Amino acid sequence: MTDNQLMQEVRDGKVEKLAVLFERHHIRLYNFLLRLTGNRNISEDLVQEVFCRILKYRTTYRGTSTFSVWMYQIARNTHIDYLRKKKEELPLDEQWQEAPSPAPSLAEQTELKEDIALVQEALSRLPLKKREVLVLSRYQGLKYREIAELLGCHIGTVKAHVHRAVKDLRKIYTELSGEAVL
Amino acid sequence: MTCHRIREKFPDFLIGDIDETTKMQIQGHLADCSTCREELESLSTIWTRLGVLPEERPSEALRSRFYTMLDAYKQVLEQEKPGPRLQTILSNGLERFWPRQPAFQFSLAMLLLVMGLTGGFLLRSTQPATAELTPLRQEMESMRTTLAMSLLDNQSASERLRGVSLSSQMKQPDSRLLETLIYTLENDSNPNVRLAAVDALYLFRDLPEVRQGLSRSLAKQTSPLVQVALIDLIVSIKEQRAIDALRSLIQDEKLDPLVKERAEQGLERLL
Repeated sequence: MTDNQLMQEVRDGKVEKLAVLFERHHIRLYNFLLRLTGNRNISEDLVQEVFCRILKYRTTYRGTSTFSVWMYQIARNTHIDYLRKKKEELPLDEQWQEAPSPAPSLAEQTELKEDIALVQEALSRLPLKKREVLVLSRYQGLKYREIAELLGCHIGTVKAHVHRAVKDLRKIYTELSGEAVL
Repeated sequence: MTCHRIREKFPDFLIGDIDETTKMQIQGHLADCSTCREELESLSTIWTRLGVLPEERPSEALRSRFYTMLDAYKQVLEQEKPGPRLQTILSNGLERFWPRQPAFQFSLAMLLLVMGLTGGFLLRSTQPATAELTPLRQEMESMRTTLAMSLLDNQSASERLRGVSLSSQMKQPDSRLLETLIYTLENDSNPNVRLAAVDALYLFRDLPEVRQGLSRSLAKQTSPLVQVALIDLIVSIKEQRAIDALRSLIQDEKLDPLVKERAEQGLERLL
């Protein structure tokens, strides 16, 4: 059964079918949110919130776009709402220092771990909009056409954003690593 | 093709979504243009470097939280379902049997009235039918408990308020739910939720664990509103064990003067 068929059944009242969609997608979704937030606990909370919203808005599912696109749309909004809420809670002076925290446990001694931490840090310094398109295309395996649908913009804009994001990331990465190799 | 047009294709090149003709065109251009070649190489390097981030797995807790949420949602759906369906069955059935003539309608109504009165009279003299209802009631209570607990765990304060109000409708809340309510009173970030928890716990004031929880949480409260509500409650149920907690509250220098006054009055009434 395809994702779309399953979600249509969830929409029509067979909510137990959401369990299959959860099993198929929760790890990918978790990693998507982890790349955006850099925090494991928050990402788990957000995955739970995304599935809560899927249930809440299940009757609005039209099946015109793929389930993945719809799910990432909800995930993106959930993440934006979370950032907004976090801003409201934080006193102003702390907001300025706020940057998505990279998972500290990753930054351990070996070379690979250092590399991972470096990439993670570079990603976290990328502005949210660029980080989103990059994560969606690089890690979530979404086609540019799907990302355009998800963001509600033209496919050419998505490609331009990805191009820009990779260039910016290269700059940040070079600064961070102090290497001139790139 | 110009350098500009070639570079527009780079994002497609990165994800490998490119047809053979375009690929050939790009390669042809790159052979002659070192700037574009270096640009694509450096983009590809960083693109590949991104691959070092491993796919991580969430903790097992995520799965169990999801299934608790799904179960609670299903229960709510099932609770809501019978209402309209029963109504349709009844109205369809009635329509079929209900006579069209007013005179017949009146006779049928009288007949039903007599039947109802007789039935009621007969039933009163026999055993009450509670025996059959008990398991059903128990099941409803346990469903409510699950739902209330999952609501109390929700991120949104209004959902947690719903959880508190649902808990207060329980006849005999089980110890897990009471613990969660006391936990909410002690730790919830929202004073309105804590205030609602005070009211809900008032209903279960006769239970020893509730009384204990109430006096214990007094020291943890920071909002004057919640403090006053809690003091009033403790005084009204004459909880002697809270005397010490009240005393140390009064000694707190940072305490709101109004709360202090209320606590002193309360202490006098308890002693």
